[in-house]
Amino acid sequence: MASISVPMPGAQSAPRPQLSEYLRWSVDHKIIGVQYMVTALIFFIIGGGLAMLIRWELLTPALDFSTTGSTYNSLFTMHATVMIFMWIIPFWAGLGNYVVPLQLGAKDMAFPWLNAFAFWLIVPAGVLMLMGYFVGPPEAGWTAYPPLSVLFSGDGQTLWIISLHILGVSSILGAINFIVTIKNMRPESMGWFQMPLFAWAQLATSLIQILGIPFLAGGLTLLLLDRVAGTAFFDPARGGDVLVWQNIFWFYSHPAVYVMVLPGMGVLSEVISVHSRKPVFGYKMIAFSSMGIALVGFTVWAHHMFTSLSPELRIPFMITSFIIAIPTGIKIFSWIGTMWGGKIRFNSAMLFSVGFLSQFVIGGITGMMLGAIPVDIHMHDTYFVVSHFHFVLYGGSVFAIYASIYHWFPKVTGRMMDERLGKIHFWVTYLSFFFTFFPQHLVGMQGMPRRVAEYAPEFQTLNVIISLSSFVLGISTFIILYNMVWAVYKGKVAGPNPWRALTLEWQTSSPPPAYNFKGEVIPFEDPYGYGTEASRVYLDEMEQRLTLPSLLGKGGTPPPASTTPEPVVGD
Amino acid sequence: MSEITLHESKQPALLPPKEEAIRNDNYKFAMWLYLASEVVLFAILIGGFVIWRVQNPEMVARMHDSLGVGLVSVNTFLLLTSSWSMVMGMREIMRDNVAGMQKWFAATAVLGVIFMVLQYVEYSELAHLGITLDFAGSSTEFAGLGVRFYSATFFHGIHVFVGVIWCLLVMRRAQQGAFSSKRYTGVEVFGLYWHFVDVVWIIIFTIFYLV
Repeated sequence: MASISVPMPGAQSAPRPQLSEYLRWSVDHKIIGVQYMVTALIFFIIGGGLAMLIRWELLTPALDFSTTGSTYNSLFTMHATVMIFMWIIPFWAGLGNYVVPLQLGAKDMAFPWLNAFAFWLIVPAGVLMLMGYFVGPPEAGWTAYPPLSVLFSGDGQTLWIISLHILGVSSILGAINFIVTIKNMRPESMGWFQMPLFAWAQLATSLIQILGIPFLAGGLTLLLLDRVAGTAFFDPARGGDVLVWQNIFWFYSHPAVYVMVLPGMGVLSEVISVHSRKPVFGYKMIAFSSMGIALVGFTVWAHHMFTSLSPELRIPFMITSFIIAIPTGIKIFSWIGTMWGGKIRFNSAMLFSVGFLSQFVIGGITGMMLGAIPVDIHMHDTYFVVSHFHFVLYGGSVFAIYASIYHWFPKVTGRMMDERLGKIHFWVTYLSFFFTFFPQHLVGMQGMPRRVAEYAPEFQTLNVIISLSSFVLGISTFIILYNMVWAVYKGKVAGPNPWRALTLEWQTSSPPPAYNFKGEVIPFEDPYGYGTEASRVYLDEMEQRLTLPSLLGKGGTPPPASTTPEPVVGD
Repeated sequence: MSEITLHESKQPALLPPKEEAIRNDNYKFAMWLYLASEVVLFAILIGGFVIWRVQNPEMVARMHDSLGVGLVSVNTFLLLTSSWSMVMGMREIMRDNVAGMQKWFAATAVLGVIFMVLQYVEYSELAHLGITLDFAGSSTEFAGLGVRFYSATFFHGIHVFVGVIWCLLVMRRAQQGAFSSKRYTGVEVFGLYWHFVDVVWIIIFTIFYLV
């Protein structure tokens, strides 16, 4: 493969939407996608602030700034809820909104109005959730187990329930929209198996949401009735059953962890293939494993309840929990196979993808450990569990979110982010992440329980290491935020296809025009067919089609040499 | 969407045939997906009742004895009839007969309202038997039955209520000329919903009242 040495002519910025368009009702999926993602980032900062307070509290074994354990309870409850329901899930909805219609060559989502409606439900839900903190905060953790959530939590718990209800409606509407879009809005030449893997991941995610959220909604309604209407669904003293809530909750919430990580796996398939300049290894296996995870994900919920389950019921759930590692393992090997022998570009997006791979494997293996009944009974409700799910949710989902930001930012804004800052961000995040969460395995194995503000003094050394690393991790977030803001104004102009990627979102200007594509949409026969002569011809032709008109007239001037991006090596 | 101009009249312009077909397909598929999530919701409520009644068979038998199946059979018949009148209404719109469609749909809405009224009558009878939502206040004879029974049947009742409102909205849009033999997806989507409510009722009728 010869390297391209001519300056790429496409380095001209397409007009960006006005800032005010992001602040009002819009049915354009690109605006809505950005609205989702920016809202989610704001909540990420709030949730991160809460995490800093938690780690501050845990610097010493005694109570520090929390006056009672209740203050601490409300902190970790809000931290978890905000991070799960207001940051990761809405961010993926936003990224899917932006990228999926473009990848399918569609003008918009199938139901633009519904799409906007689903986003605008997020805002009141978030406000309600945060208001709850000030009217008597919820204290029962994000799992909201009764009787804690019924008898001991403040009025904020009621608002918490209503907020989750609204978010649930939003997610179901979004999921219906995604599935219809993916099934019906593809160009005729794009069959199911020519579809980008990110779209497959969104499809699996949406299926989980449609089938899982009604369970949560039903359970939340019962919990609400118990709190405000005096029913006793979860009150054993009056004939109710607390385990009903645990079953309902985990039947939704275990699949929900796949809602949080499947789109990230879709991102990885895109990023790794594009930046390794190689076809995805095992396309169909990755697509099917997404669907497999979605289905098997519904059969494992009771592994969260090993300590409260009758012994004969534990074994089947241990088996299903081990089975679900198989499709995940298939993906991991496929990604490694994709990179194998590729011309890898270690830019920020790729670094975070490889970071995901390494951290997620650790999180996956501790997940298997916790799926084994004897280990789980020993580790249950210790910091080992906390460490496990932070490895999959931060080392997995959030790393994938970072990778997606570095990968698609040029498409969304038309500008390149600073690579040097990106690499600094990666290394600071990667190391501080590891030293924040890896020692938690150790304190967990030594027996430090989760959800406590005061702990035995012998755990202090490790906790100080954890807290100090977590402060660095918190600060590292501002590197990417600064990078994004800087790039919007000062970043190099990206041109339509800075990564020379084959999927359709790159075959239009950056940012794409209204209705996404000018003229007919021509997908390449294989979305990941890198390294072939045909793909090089296709990319060159698309490049010309997109840049020629702007060079020829309508007041457009050829770009000055300084804005020319670095030539990209290889195809 | 190329050159669609919105006319002042309420009659929306038809899209080009291909886009019109995609649009119709989108609406119907979305409705099926929505119904899939409804199936899950009803499955929990009905499943919860089934598990509970396996453990307490004599309590349900006592309720059946005191209540009888007369009233609820009438109700079931009414709901099935409403589905039939809705299908008849749909046949009329396929023949471009808006007035005919509205007549049949009015019948559907009226039958739906009667269904809710009779359900209210039945609820008050059950309340007299001592089957209530409140555990503490209910007679020990029926302890725990109320919440399981009412949550499923009332949730279905809400669906009938929403269906009646939707039916009236469809009639109003028909009045404005939104539907014709070329464009009646809006009617069809409502039809899917109403049939679903009907099917759920047949399952509830069988499991809660008959067996």
